[in-house]
Amino acid sequence: MGENAQGKTNLLESIYVLALARSHRTSNDKDLIQWQQKETTISGRVHRRTGDLPLSLNFSNKGKKARVNHLEQSKLSQYVGQLNVILFAPEDLELVKGAPTIRRRFIDMEFGQMNPLYLYHSAQYKKILKNRNAYLKRLQLGQTKDTVFLDVLTEQLVDTGSQVILARQAFLKNLELAAQPIHTEISNQQEKLTLKYQSSVDLSENTNIDQIKSQFLESLRQQYQREKSQGSTALGPHRDDVQFWVNGKDVATFGSQGQQRTAALSVKLAEIHLMQQETGEYPVLLLDDVLSELDASRQTHLLLAIQDKVQTFITAPSLSDVAKQLIHAPKVFHVKQGQITVE
Amino acid sequence: MQYPEPIAKLIDNYTKLPGIGPKTATRLAFYTLGMDNEDVESFSKSLISAKKDLTFCDTCGMITEKDMNPCIICRDKSRNQGTVFVVENSRDVMAMENTRDYHGLYHVLNGVISPSAGTGPEDINLPSLVRRLSEHEEIKEVIVGTNANAEGEATAMYLARLLKPAGIKVTRLAHGLSVGSDIDYADELTLIKAVQGRTEL
Ligand SMILES: [Zn+2]
Repeated sequence: MGENAQGKTNLLESIYVLALARSHRTSNDKDLIQWQQKETTISGRVHRRTGDLPLSLNFSNKGKKARVNHLEQSKLSQYVGQLNVILFAPEDLELVKGAPTIRRRFIDMEFGQMNPLYLYHSAQYKKILKNRNAYLKRLQLGQTKDTVFLDVLTEQLVDTGSQVILARQAFLKNLELAAQPIHTEISNQQEKLTLKYQSSVDLSENTNIDQIKSQFLESLRQQYQREKSQGSTALGPHRDDVQFWVNGKDVATFGSQGQQRTAALSVKLAEIHLMQQETGEYPVLLLDDVLSELDASRQTHLLLAIQDKVQTFITAPSLSDVAKQLIHAPKVFHVKQGQITVE
Repeated sequence: MQYPEPIAKLIDNYTKLPGIGPKTATRLAFYTLGMDNEDVESFSKSLISAKKDLTFCDTCGMITEKDMNPCIICRDKSRNQGTVFVVENSRDVMAMENTRDYHGLYHVLNGVISPSAGTGPEDINLPSLVRRLSEHEEIKEVIVGTNANAEGEATAMYLARLLKPAGIKVTRLAHGLSVGSDIDYADELTLIKAVQGRTEL
């Protein structure tokens, strides 16, 4: 507990970074290092069923070093997933209505923790996309006429991108299954939630990898002139989105703010279940100033769902009445000007 | 207080090396001060000579001495003249030569194609490979040994597309489990790559 700008969020952020090796706040690791300092280290002990596991992350101008049980990991995909966290912050309530990038980042962060192969494919995809965009720029500016290399990049993009799409579709199906009963309960049996993967590739009913690949390739072929004149890749998983539907209607467009928040909350709670199913253990939950954004009924649903099961870090200026009732023997820390004291 | 200029310059120069920060550079600079005059002179001479006396082989692109161009491998007629092994840099040639198991020729790209880093197909030693193959019909096979990352793969695929129409066999190094590694301990990605690159028995 503490007033704003005292360092509460920094504490949660450090737990988040320790788990995912990147921040939710910035994509530039340098921002994590204190001003005028050369490096920073975050370390923690994760208590798991199989025993305790020390994790540590070091950021410096030379990059980041990730250690599991004191051993440096050569690949981040071997590090991420050792500690699973879910962060729920006020901006997550924008999940339904906010910009598509929020939803894509949501999928990449949450799914990546559970699936190292997805993490690998989405990182590869980003690299290939960057190369393909740079090459399209060259073609656009007339610096090269060689389209053979563009074909190579297209093939790579399609191969990796199709894996990303296929994995996201499967993940969303599971997320939907887990979110539906929660949503029905929060809405007092009034609403049914469905999640739809909106791909920029025209997928119709294509579900296997070869069909996605051929459709992706065909869509890119049709866009070639446009891509060349714009100097960037027109479609692919980096342009895809997720829609939340309630009772057959798109909530982002036709839903009330309350319905949008209920959908976001259901999906967040569903993630906790999914992660428990996938990894056998509950993730650590970080509730960053989000309780005060929810009404009493939604606070109750959230707190009951995690009660006595999920280790949760909550930041708030003060505890609400609902929270006081539903959280058993909380350990309270006060944060003031970056100093943490136990109550 | 400031260091006297000569040592400040030396520290500054050491920091230009990869992986060396100001602290290590300072330690190295003071160590250099304590070295024998002879050693320091030989050190500085080899620095200059490495730049001045070396060049890239006109045929294959490997580093070679200026008065040994084409390089020693390109001159060796006892080597299999029908196979060219394409690698990213001269260090890869050394590694392959140390296996003593390959007796063909090499072609060193001195890089990989990476448009995002500003490197196009014509910016690495690749046009010279195409020329070399058209001038030497005895070359029947090109083995591509670029790294197994996105850019290494793209470079390999590009070579395949360029060379196959000319009737040249293009092969790619298999990647997967290393010799002696237990399947239990291999990480997921290595296993998947190994399955993709499986060979028939
Ligand atoms: Zn040579």
